[in-house]
Amino acid sequence: MMAVAASKIGIRVNVRLFSVLREAVGVSTMDIEAPVGCTAGGLLDQLAAAHPAIHRFRSHIRLAVNASYVSVDVVLGDGDEIALITPTSGG
Amino acid sequence: MTSSFHKPSGSSWIGLAEDPLPLAEAHQFLLGESAGGVCLFTGVVRRWTGDVETPGLNYEAYATMAVAEMERLAADASTRWPVVRLVLLHRLGNVDAGEASVVVGLACPHRADAFEACRWLIDTLKTEVPIWKDETEYNRITFPIEPTML
Repeated sequence: MMAVAASKIGIRVNVRLFSVLREAVGVSTMDIEAPVGCTAGGLLDQLAAAHPAIHRFRSHIRLAVNASYVSVDVVLGDGDEIALITPTSGG
Repeated sequence: MTSSFHKPSGSSWIGLAEDPLPLAEAHQFLLGESAGGVCLFTGVVRRWTGDVETPGLNYEAYATMAVAEMERLAADASTRWPVVRLVLLHRLGNVDAGEASVVVGLACPHRADAFEACRWLIDTLKTEVPIWKDETEYNRITFPIEPTML
């Protein structure tokens, strides 16, 4: 029953942007609704379709969920924090 | 993110902060009777790259994840080398040319391990830890600093 109810409302996730992506998109966070079962890669598809800047950087973006790097096939959960990590340049 | 570096706990000192790096304290933290080799790498903002002048850099981080990754790298290093003590500190915000932006320190029983682990840590930090430098943001605060940290 819970799964059926959730599939109707989807999940909400928080997307974090940094550095060149934050500058290009113009925001540092976005609250996004996604379908239940959506993967990290699926969410990136959705974001790239909506934001040309994300599309432009897409091949350079690594994904993190709740502060850990993940592969694109990881399934997202309600309330997850997804970070789009462009090549880092600390040091 | 706090403005100053918290004091070390246990055998590792890991952190992100806006204050100047406590280089002397970091070196002192690494010294001890068990470690015959102490290697301290300091990354410094370089003013001149050829004819191009860089008055300073601004460092931004996904702070929660950056500290988690730094802790993960420290744990990895400790499984690969006989690490007695370890320092991994990085500055955020504006860093003037000539000032240190990062310090990586290793204390091991022998120097070869200290050199190798130190080189691996700074190289891996650059590719894995979500910290970004930006020259154009220098002296321009346009994003909220994340409130966290060690």
